[in-house]
This record gives sequence, structure tokens and C-alpha cells, in this order.
Amino acid sequence: MKGTLSIGAIQLILACAISAALIKPVQDRLDDRVGKSTKVLDLLYFGSPTAVKRLALGYDGLLADVYWMRAIQYYGRREEAQRRPVLYGNLAALLDITTTLDPHLLNAYRFGGVFLGEPEPMGAGQPQEAIRIIDRGIRAFPLEWHLRFDKGFIYFWYVSDYRKAGDVWLEASRVPGAPKWLEGLAAMGLSKSGAVETARMLWQRQYDEAERAEVKENARKYLLTMQINEDCWTLEFFVEKFRKRFGRRPAMLQDLVSSGLLKDVARDPSRVPYRYDPASGRVRISPETQLGYLKKMPYDYRDPFLKKLEERYGPD
Amino acid sequence: MKILTIGRNTFRENIRDKILYNLILFALLMILSSIALGQLTLGHEAKVIVDLGLGSISIFGTLIAIFIGISLVYKELEKRTVYALLAKPIHRWEFITGKYLGLLFTLLVNVAIMAAGLMLTLLYQGGIERYTYLNLLPAIYLTLLSLMVTTALALVFSTFSTPALSALFTFFLWVAGHFNADLLEFGNLAKTPGLKWLTRVFYYVIPNISNFKVIDSRNVIQAAAYFEPINYAALGWVTVYGILYSGILLGIAVLIFSRRDFK
Repeated sequence: MKGTLSIGAIQLILACAISAALIKPVQDRLDDRVGKSTKVLDLLYFGSPTAVKRLALGYDGLLADVYWMRAIQYYGRREEAQRRPVLYGNLAALLDITTTLDPHLLNAYRFGGVFLGEPEPMGAGQPQEAIRIIDRGIRAFPLEWHLRFDKGFIYFWYVSDYRKAGDVWLEASRVPGAPKWLEGLAAMGLSKSGAVETARMLWQRQYDEAERAEVKENARKYLLTMQINEDCWTLEFFVEKFRKRFGRRPAMLQDLVSSGLLKDVARDPSRVPYRYDPASGRVRISPETQLGYLKKMPYDYRDPFLKKLEERYGPD
Repeated sequence: MKILTIGRNTFRENIRDKILYNLILFALLMILSSIALGQLTLGHEAKVIVDLGLGSISIFGTLIAIFIGISLVYKELEKRTVYALLAKPIHRWEFITGKYLGLLFTLLVNVAIMAAGLMLTLLYQGGIERYTYLNLLPAIYLTLLSLMVTTALALVFSTFSTPALSALFTFFLWVAGHFNADLLEFGNLAKTPGLKWLTRVFYYVIPNISNFKVIDSRNVIQAAAYFEPINYAALGWVTVYGILYSGILLGIAVLIFSRRDFK
């Protein structure tokens, strides 16, 4: 018996191996079934931050980390939000609990600012909640200029209160150690409310300053979207110029180069050509683009941008 | 036939165990206390009773499965009764399977008692439709399936380890089994392909106890606004999963026990 395997044992091992091989397909089928139902509800068992703090039995930091990780999981669903509606209804409560348990989690305030304020479907679409969370952060970290920068960012993009954004950035620029460019940003916000330059500078700063990879990536996507929008609008502008000059729209974008209107036809940042519809004259990003999901700009600046092009190249 | 005899004796031995009565009593007290807790909520009294009742059945059932499961084989070895048993024309796999079935039957009886307690509590609370009691049955059935896996897990450890360590290992895996989905989510968020792969492997290897939670109070109280119909397809796949996983564990337990040297 010892040392060698009996036929019975071999049969048993085989049966176990076959069953083990079946576990994966069975689990996958089960996941499909459960995934198809609306079973998973976004539940918060304890909605009150103070109740959670009492129940933490001194493990406040540990529990804060748990809640923080759950909040981050919300962020993980942003890709999913491209395909189907995702509810972020509990994000504010999660951040509230996290920061009550551990008021020193700076990222929780900043994270809240960026993603809580962002419009649906990519964010929770709760800018006022975002401002409330950041204000709590400012009380906990009065010398942290980043929080005021984020607060101004939310006022600018998600509340469209450019003056207020400018005021907050001005306040941020007065915090010891704040960078010089904040004054410039505040000035732009206060003088040219909603200007394209302010928007671009904002995302660029967000991109440069972000410590978290997700925040950086978010800003990069906005910058890419801005570039793509501007490329498409520019091409459409020249398509219209072509129409005015030759009485018809170009059959393809390359015609803009052969007619001498453009030196080169822009491609998207992944080097994929833009898609042109000669019937409508509209230029869009190609579905074959390698850029993945892009942002929907909360602020439409097509008209001021076209006006600038007109000033530069003339209307005809 | 020999398996059934061993199973019957295991059941008799189990019902003489004091820990069993303590646990059932405690579970019944928990279920009864849900009446008081239900009154503290604003509406949803039945939901609180069902949640606490099903939770108590599951938790105390698991405690019974672990505490009795870990000593199934160890006790026989300690009392040296295994020598007398194996000297008879009984195969080792028959011994293990009989022990397993005996404990499963013990759990079935205990769960039935606790389920009856829950139903009586609901009856006392009143205002529950008749089909609510029927809807409880699939949830209780899933609890039994999860206990089947937990018992098999405890049995595997009890074939080669001490009761204390077996309890620790089983409890650890039972807890980990509730976080499988989080583990997978964590892997999906991870940037390293190796970590992603590893979390996927663990997802399938660790017993997915959360599978057995596909039915809860939301599927029971039909009149409630949050009611969701029972997903019978999922119920079917959970059954297949439970049988497969328990079968593998039982096979491993038999293999380990067959290779043990009792000299």
C-alpha cells in the first residue's frame, strides 16, 4: 500500500483531477448567470460615519483603508461605465466614512474632488458633494494648496462658476509654498471666464501635478479629447473653406492638401486618420483609433474656437 | 451499507456532543432576537428577521461544521478506536465517506431545527405572505450546500492535522472564500499581468463561499419593493459547484487518509 498507488487511488486522483478541471467552467457559467441578473446592489451597511467609527473598536485606520479601497473600486468601474450605466450613488458616503475614520487620507479628499464631481456616466455627477468633501480636506490640511486647486477645478468644470473658480485659485496661490502659476490661473479664471486657454492649462496642470496614476490618466484623456476636438473642428473649418472656394465639398481630406489649403492632414494622437463624411462635411475620430475611451467635454468651446480660426485664416 | 452504518454512528456520536446544543440554542436565540431588532427598524421588519435568521443559520451551521468536522477523524485516532474499526473489513474510503455523510446528516437536522425556528419567528411577526416560507427554502438549501463544502474542507484538514490547526485552516479558507470576487476585482485593477493571473488562479482554487449567497432576503419577501425573483439557473450551477468542490475535497481526504500509516 505504502509507496505505490493502488488502482483505486489512481481512479480517485483521476476523478478529483476531472472535477477540478470542471470547477472553472462551472464557476464561469455561474458568474454569467449571476452577472446577468441585477443581484449586486450597491449597498452600504452603515451609512453613518460616526456609527462606523464607534463600531471600528479602535481599528479606525484599518477600517478607513477598507473603505478607501472600496471607494477606489468605484474608480475601477469607470471603464465599465463606457458600456453600461454604473451607479456611483454611494461614493460620497464612502468617502465621508473613509475621511471620518482617518482624516489624514489626503488622497481621499482629492480623489473625491475629481471623481465625485465629474458628470455621469463617468463620475457621480455630484459637484456640490465634491466641494463639501474637499472643504473638509481643507480644514484637515489648511496648508495643502492642491485641495484648493481641485476645488477651483470643480467650480470651473462642473459648476461652471468661473468667477468662483478664480477666487478659489487666488486663495490657493496665497497658501505658503503654492506655485507661481496658480496666480496666473486665477487671473485667467477671473478675467476670461471659460476661456480655452484656462481649460487647457487646467488639464495640463492636473496632468503635471497628479501623483496618482489614475488622476494623471484622467487628465491625459481630457487633453487628448481637446486635441481631437480641435483637430476635427480645424479640418471641418477647412472643408467649409474648400466648399466656398470650389462650390463643392472635398471628396476626401487629402483634397485639402492638393488644393493648397493645408500642408498636411492631421491624424489622431495614435496616428489613425480621422473619419470624414463628404455628405455632411463632418470630421470624427475613427472607430479604429488606438486611444481607447475618450472623454465627453463638459464645456463646449467649438464656436469660440472656430471664431479664432476665422480671425487667423479669414472666413473664405 | 458499511458507509451508512458509519454515518449513523457518527450522527449518534454528534448528537451526544454538548457543543452542538449550545450552538443551536445560541442560533435560536439570535433568530428570536430578530423580533426585537425588527422593531427597532423603520419598516422592513420582515427583512431584518429573514436576514438575521438566514445569517444565524449560516454562521452557526458553519461553526458546527467546523468544530465537529475537525474532530471527526482526530477523535477516532486519539481514542484509538480507528484501529479497531480498520481491523474490520472496512475500506478507509468507506470510513471517511461514512463520517462525512454522518456529519452532513447532523447538519441537515440542525439546519431544519433552525429553519423551523426562523419560520416560527416570521409567523409570530405576522404579515408575511404564505409564499415567503416557500421562498426561504432555496436560501436554506444553499446554506446546506455551503455547509457541505465547509464540512469537506474541515474533513480534509482533520485527516492530517490537529483539531486546533484544522479549525484555523478551515476558518481561514471559509473567510477567504467570501472575498473571491474582491480578489478578482483586485487582480483586474492590478497593472502586473503576473498578479492578475495569480488572483484568477486563487479565484478558482479557493472555495467560493460567496457563491452560496446568491439568494437572500431580497429574493424571499415577494411583496417588498426590492424583491428580485430567484435565479434558478444560478441555483443549478451553485449545486453543480457545491457537489464538484465537495467531491474533490472528499477525494483528497480519502487519499490522505489512505496513505496514512497507523502503525
